[in-house]
Amino acid sequence: MEVKTDEILISEYQQGNAQALEELFGRYKKAIFNYALRLLGDRADAEDIVAESFMILVTNKMAYQPQAKFSTWFYRVAHNMAISRIRRRKYSVSMWFKKNDGDDFEEWDVADTKDLPQEELIKKEKNLAVRKAIQKLPEDQKEALILREYQELSYHEISVILDCSLENVKILIFRAREALRTELASVMSEDSHE
Amino acid sequence: MNNREDLKQLISAYIDGETTPEEKERVETLLATDAEAKKYYNNLKNLSSSLRTWSNEALSPDLEQKLNKDYLSQKIEEGRAMKAKTKRTVAVASTVLIALVVFSVSLDVYKRNVQGRLKSATDEIGEQYQPAQSQPVATTAQTTVSAPITAVTPVTVTASAPVPTVQQSAPSNGIVKSARARTEGVMLAKAVETKQYEPYYMDQSYNVNKAEGATRSAKSVTLGFQADSSAKGGRMLYDQVQVVAPAFVGPTVYYGQPVDTNTEQYDQINENEYQEAMQNPLSTFSIDVDTASYSNIRRFLESNQMPPEDSVRIEEMINYFSYEYPEPTGEDPFSITTEVAACPWNTTHKLALIGLQGKRLKGTEMPSSNLVFLIDVSGSMQDQNKLPLLQQAFRMMVQQLRAEDTVSIVVYAGAAGQVLEPTSGDQKQKILSAINSLSAGGSTAGAEGIQMAYELAKKNYIKGGNNRVVLATDGDFNVGVSNDGELVRIIEEKRKEGIFLTILGVGMGNYKDSKMQKLADKGNGNYYYIDTLKEAKKVLVQELGSALFTIAKDVKIQVEFNPSQVKAYRLVGYEKRMLNKEDFNDDTKDAGELGIGHTVTALYEIIPADSKEPVASVDALKYQTTQVKTSEDLLTVKLRYKKPEENESKLLSRVVSAKEVVTQMSNNLSWASAVSEFGMILRNSKFKASSSYADTLTRAQASKGEDKFGYRQEMIDLIQKAESLDVRVTTPGGGISTK
Repeated sequence: MEVKTDEILISEYQQGNAQALEELFGRYKKAIFNYALRLLGDRADAEDIVAESFMILVTNKMAYQPQAKFSTWFYRVAHNMAISRIRRRKYSVSMWFKKNDGDDFEEWDVADTKDLPQEELIKKEKNLAVRKAIQKLPEDQKEALILREYQELSYHEISVILDCSLENVKILIFRAREALRTELASVMSEDSHE
Repeated sequence: MNNREDLKQLISAYIDGETTPEEKERVETLLATDAEAKKYYNNLKNLSSSLRTWSNEALSPDLEQKLNKDYLSQKIEEGRAMKAKTKRTVAVASTVLIALVVFSVSLDVYKRNVQGRLKSATDEIGEQYQPAQSQPVATTAQTTVSAPITAVTPVTVTASAPVPTVQQSAPSNGIVKSARARTEGVMLAKAVETKQYEPYYMDQSYNVNKAEGATRSAKSVTLGFQADSSAKGGRMLYDQVQVVAPAFVGPTVYYGQPVDTNTEQYDQINENEYQEAMQNPLSTFSIDVDTASYSNIRRFLESNQMPPEDSVRIEEMINYFSYEYPEPTGEDPFSITTEVAACPWNTTHKLALIGLQGKRLKGTEMPSSNLVFLIDVSGSMQDQNKLPLLQQAFRMMVQQLRAEDTVSIVVYAGAAGQVLEPTSGDQKQKILSAINSLSAGGSTAGAEGIQMAYELAKKNYIKGGNNRVVLATDGDFNVGVSNDGELVRIIEEKRKEGIFLTILGVGMGNYKDSKMQKLADKGNGNYYYIDTLKEAKKVLVQELGSALFTIAKDVKIQVEFNPSQVKAYRLVGYEKRMLNKEDFNDDTKDAGELGIGHTVTALYEIIPADSKEPVASVDALKYQTTQVKTSEDLLTVKLRYKKPEENESKLLSRVVSAKEVVTQMSNNLSWASAVSEFGMILRNSKFKASSSYADTLTRAQASKGEDKFGYRQEMIDLIQKAESLDVRVTTPGGGISTK
């Protein structure tokens, strides 16, 4: 059976074929979830983004224009959702319940590290360092990097999603890498010893 | 140097395959010749592989399943997805979140579709936004309201089936918090390693300021719903405090998500104790016409959680409902009703009801209103159950406005601003378009907004009219003057100028219950919690009069009990409203307000004088003896109130004879007793005696009465729901204990 492109699926869905939506859902749920998770650093938020993005797709399917690539359009939808969430979060630091944003990740390693074998521990530590380092990046750099490194999108697609120039994408990714290189220097040097 | 930077950038792009052919060639030559460049290249490659250690995570199976099967199919568009169907899924608590998220979105979209509005959705992607200004609001309001109501179906579930274990260790202070911190932290890391999914919102420990509060909360509130549908690595992460509760899945049409209570605040309630009639014959309190607690409880139950005990304020539950008391005749703006019968949950006791009925006014008699809506449009308000819900509610309300009313709208977020200048109630289009134009974004400067709103209200002051600031917020005053004291000062000052404050609380998670109640009290106002369109309609449309126009202020009740008939008594609820006995005659003491047509109900549980029941008491006084006049009177109700614009109070009183005790409760008393019994069970009151869900339910069903708007039926449904959710230990007597 021929594999339908995303664009064919969405146009089928626009014409009322619910099956096509399920197919799209299957293709994108994990990508959108992980994109949002890395961007927001919070599972619950990321799940919300997935749900919200698909709701937009369901309720507003006609907003997709055939000349655009579906993946780009859909990432853009998720991007908008995520950005508004980030914005909201930024402003909702209330006086009653101050959240030390930076500390959220510290807690990750609380999880029963004692029983793990050595290499597991190192891996875990590295994982944690990566998460932390990524969360530290400025939002735009972070997002560009995620879209490139994890979602493996092209600069062009990223530029559409972030609504900026190609040149800008290139610089954002480069800066993010530079920052990560510094931030992760210790973890990465362990690589070379291995 | 710059050149070097450029080269690095080029290498970065080269790795991504994003170079032109010329650039590519250039980089490749460079890599072959320049060791430094090669090192940098390897370094970036190395970075890439390091980043991969953060591998993709799987969605929770529940989310996937829900989205895939139930919610992404055509059903949503056709609006049929609301049919309640119960699913016995093993502890898929997390689905509830998603289901509700999706539902709230879908519902809203459904409504918007009905109205031809696809505003918010399109806003999100920044396209095709068409301002919809001339919608037939009244009719759509009907349509949209009916949808959620019909869909609220009692969820019948077996409470026992999915419960593998019920562990409940005695919690101590601090554990709740640490358990929570752990769970939060652990969750994400866990997901990577074992793909074990721990829903974040299942940890319901909430902020409790006081030490005793923490213990109390641990009892009922830390119901950790363990979502472990995979059953693979089902190791529990709540090691200290665990109550494994069943989760229920059943679409509930409800505005919002499961309640993440971690930033919600409730003041601890110490229930009113029995007072000996001999020692303390006087009981004094301020009437309370707030109803927020009930809506808040409903919010918890609708999202399948037991409400925190301190969120249950019984008097607010009782007063959520209106009762059939006689219309006032004569010049007083309200009538007083009393009734005494045997107490249903302790038959050796008596239960006395005191009911006030505010005068009803016809539309034309209603004084004109000068309303200033002060709307929080901060970022936190953009959830479907916040600003969009309020907008819906206001649209419905606008239809009720008359030409002599004026409405202004002030918003606050970052900076406060006026969105609608004072506008006459007949310019509905103008008001509607102002309401439609509201959108959330920015931080909250509540104090500045309040000041601006009060200034506007003062500028348009209508003498003898209903001058009121209506504050709608999720309570997050977080920028600028966030000091409670200062806000209270502003509000109190304005109260004296005859401008009242009504607070509409929305949203959840960030919701500051105690603060809102305090503010509304200070501003001589009412405080409502709006969680559904139905509630919004109740408050803003059906009760517009009572919510927005005060016919009597500083209403205080003092009851004197006759020790020859009464051994001891306790006031049910009203803990936060108790006054000192000398406050009763002190006209400077602020108390509750009564609105048009509003009813206020209070219950006393009475231990008769001939009872053998021991009551904690003090030793008899050494130097004085108390003379008790023998009398057939059971008690005397005294009541003080002021007309809204007056400063001197008027006294009313009424004697209740011991002979008046009825054997057959009226619907009023029966319903009120059912509500308080329900409340006592929810807050696990020490006075609940033989209270039970079954008993409450029977009485509630029997005294439902006409129930024109279905509010009472809704509580009947809630009782059933609570019963199925309640995993606290049931004692043989039918009561609930948490040991």
